[in-house]
Amino acid sequence: MVDKNTARAVLDEALKTGGDFSELFCEDTETNNISMSDGKVENATYSRLNGAGVRVLKGTRCAYAFTAGMNERALMEAARAAAAAIDGVKEGETRTFEVKDYRRSPKLPFSAVDNVKRILLLKEGTAAAKAYSSEISQVEASYVDVDQRIMVCNSNGVWAEDRRPRTRVFVQAVATKDSEAQTGYESPGLGMGFEAFERINMEQVGAQAAKTAVTMLHAPQCPSGFLPVVIDGGFGGVILHEACVHSLEATSVSKGNSEFCGKLGQKIASDIVTAVDDGTLAGEWGTINVDDEGTPSQRNVLVENGILKSYLFDMLGARRMEHPLTGSSRRQSYAYAPTSRMTNTFFAPGSDDEEEMIASTAEGLFAARMGGGSVNPLTGEFNFAVLEGYWIKNGKIYCPVRGATLVGRGADVLMKIDRIGKKMWMGQGMCGSASGSIPTNVGQPRIRVKEITIGGKGGAL
Amino acid sequence: MTFDEFTSAVFEEALRMGCTAAEVYFVEGDSAEIGVLEGELDQYSVSHNFGLNLRVEYDGRNGYAYTETFENPSELAKKAIDNACAIESADAHPMQGKSEYADIPEAENPLFELDRKQRIELAKEIERAAKAKDGRVIRVSTSEIASDDSTVIIRNTLGLDAKKREALSYSLVGAILSQNGEMKNAYSFRSGKEALNIDKLVTEAVDNAAAQFGASPVAAGEYDVIIKNEAMADLLNAFSPMFSAENAQKGLSPLNGKEGETVASELITILDDPFYPEFARAFDAEGVPSVKKAVVEKGTLKTLLHNLKTAKRAGVESTSNASRARLTSPIGVSPSVFYIEPGDTSYDELVKKLGNGLIITELAGLHSGVNTVSDEFSLLASGRLVENGEIVRSVEQITIAGSFLETMRNVDTLGSDLKFGIPVGSIIGSPSILVKGAHISGK
Repeated sequence: MVDKNTARAVLDEALKTGGDFSELFCEDTETNNISMSDGKVENATYSRLNGAGVRVLKGTRCAYAFTAGMNERALMEAARAAAAAIDGVKEGETRTFEVKDYRRSPKLPFSAVDNVKRILLLKEGTAAAKAYSSEISQVEASYVDVDQRIMVCNSNGVWAEDRRPRTRVFVQAVATKDSEAQTGYESPGLGMGFEAFERINMEQVGAQAAKTAVTMLHAPQCPSGFLPVVIDGGFGGVILHEACVHSLEATSVSKGNSEFCGKLGQKIASDIVTAVDDGTLAGEWGTINVDDEGTPSQRNVLVENGILKSYLFDMLGARRMEHPLTGSSRRQSYAYAPTSRMTNTFFAPGSDDEEEMIASTAEGLFAARMGGGSVNPLTGEFNFAVLEGYWIKNGKIYCPVRGATLVGRGADVLMKIDRIGKKMWMGQGMCGSASGSIPTNVGQPRIRVKEITIGGKGGAL
Repeated sequence: MTFDEFTSAVFEEALRMGCTAAEVYFVEGDSAEIGVLEGELDQYSVSHNFGLNLRVEYDGRNGYAYTETFENPSELAKKAIDNACAIESADAHPMQGKSEYADIPEAENPLFELDRKQRIELAKEIERAAKAKDGRVIRVSTSEIASDDSTVIIRNTLGLDAKKREALSYSLVGAILSQNGEMKNAYSFRSGKEALNIDKLVTEAVDNAAAQFGASPVAAGEYDVIIKNEAMADLLNAFSPMFSAENAQKGLSPLNGKEGETVASELITILDDPFYPEFARAFDAEGVPSVKKAVVEKGTLKTLLHNLKTAKRAGVESTSNASRARLTSPIGVSPSVFYIEPGDTSYDELVKKLGNGLIITELAGLHSGVNTVSDEFSLLASGRLVENGEIVRSVEQITIAGSFLETMRNVDTLGSDLKFGIPVGSIIGSPSILVKGAHISGK
């Protein structure tokens, strides 16, 4: 993308006003998007992002400038724009680059795939959803593939190049009866080339989306209450993502804006809880070979047997807290300065029986499929939506319920986890924060929370 | 190549390859964000961005391709044609021809007059002012000044050549207060000509954070509620896709086919006004001249929001609501300046009128707890408990669940305190509204 002499000149220019560190991040990303409505392709787009960002640090001060395009003039201007925010005299120069190449070619690059193959996937998903029930009135489907190529180098001599292919499909089914409509969706993705679809079964994707929509169409409104909730594995791990790990990002912790500040080595969760953020899992949606500061990704044990073990660090956060890097620095694109973020985040498997969790619950909710959520890291207050829920009565699934929301405080809910199942799996999401929207996995085995606020508008069942 | 050269070249290539029309949507601009923490520059991000999205019409179908480098026009045209060939939907998406536009006065953005050093000083001033406002302020998590100044050009082979400036500036503060070991935070912003009003900015954030101390849930049940202007604007924003003709035509909106029917209380008028002072724009994302319209008038749905594609399919005129979700996105539909027309009851009178009930000041989870297809929401909420027309304490960790249209039907009184959300993308506003019988869960 940029040759070493140009990169060196840019990094040195950025240090001219006294910065103690400079960094150049270059990106060339191709994206293909196809959307289908009612079985017909409605839009198809291609985009190519091409730009760079220059960052200068002086202690914990940070300045960032980015530009579309990667010609030398634009890069030097960005370097000067970033340096302008630092006031001092030049102290050092860029060290010799130690080149690390993390790029691996995908088995089936997206450039070798034509639209016909992409569209076929969406048709399979749509057909499966429609075939599920005559109550399915509409199916929306979309496909995206992204081939991000990055180079990051810095004045400490880091030079890392990576290629990050990823692809994902989304199928949303609408079930209608009289004037009522309910929806369900499924959206699996993997961090690899088009070979991902040897693993993603579009028939199952379509059928699952339809199952949620049809089940919810016949479900009464969820009652509200403060009761036990059994949360199934996979995307259920969004509870960990929202209720805990956002508050472990250095972005919040290093500024004192997290309920988990100063709690390293302390008990923050029940004894059966072990939580991990692992960017190294081959081919996963949230996986990165190297982070956006050039630090190799790693497996970070965040909570072990209930004890807080680590936060997630980027360079700025690590400087503020004098802590080693954890390979957690990420950004959506060159248009964002990087910060501490998650990769693949999950509750490690436990030893509890999945059936017993429901059988030993007198009354409560079984959240079979979770939607997204959000959190205020300062107070730990979180919320998330239940896409497919079932009411539990006397240890048995009584009926499906719709429209449930779970709300609570991270610190409370972690202490109240009283069951963790044996089998862990993950679901895919896009996580939005200070450095933009990035692909992340959330995961868990089936778990039970002793009690949590369930929001809904239904009466007693 | 320059923009003009590249555009001419890409049009030539597209037409040579058999396209019947071609259009570019080009944005170029500069942005700056400056933040301080504890008197030191903490966040500083400046940029020069540009991007060009090509749309071609090929064999009656549209295809898109986006680039940030002005190299290789024929490759870009080829990508767009490939994408046009993939389209199976039979709906035509016409392009706008040469058009005349209203003169829009430039909005006031005093922040643009400040240079880098002055902006850093202003951000520091925000932090100092927030700390000075209340002894309980332990930290100011955000003291930020941001601006974006962009030029948008839409040009096509039918003769359209539209150009506008999109300028945005705002100040933002996040205050953290502590009292008896309890921490609370709140944010506020001021945009455009209000961006330099530091006192109002910090007072709002500090007061809103302070008001949350001592909060606890209420018992679950049915309550009369005031949904405060900002929270109501957030809710309207989340449900605005319901008003898109694109969603309606796909069977994804409960308002499909409801034009002319009563969908809300007769107190409710919802306007979409691209000429609203300060937020005015001359044309939409496909160059259609702006039109002001009532979307809901005294409870009756008058029109959905259209772009040229949905309008053609419905046999109506575009309502000038074409949008691009991102620069890389195809043309869709979204509101321009979209708001519930205020009534004449002040907020204080509204609280008296509520008598006993809740004020919802904040809603969370709007990206996940709202379903615009089923018209249902279930959201984390916080606010105040009102007894005998007086605020008695703060409330948190409750949820409010319901249907948006049902909420619009159950409106009892409209406040006069119209307020708009942060002016990025669609600009959504609402007054506070008093609603009977909302479902609340709590303890």
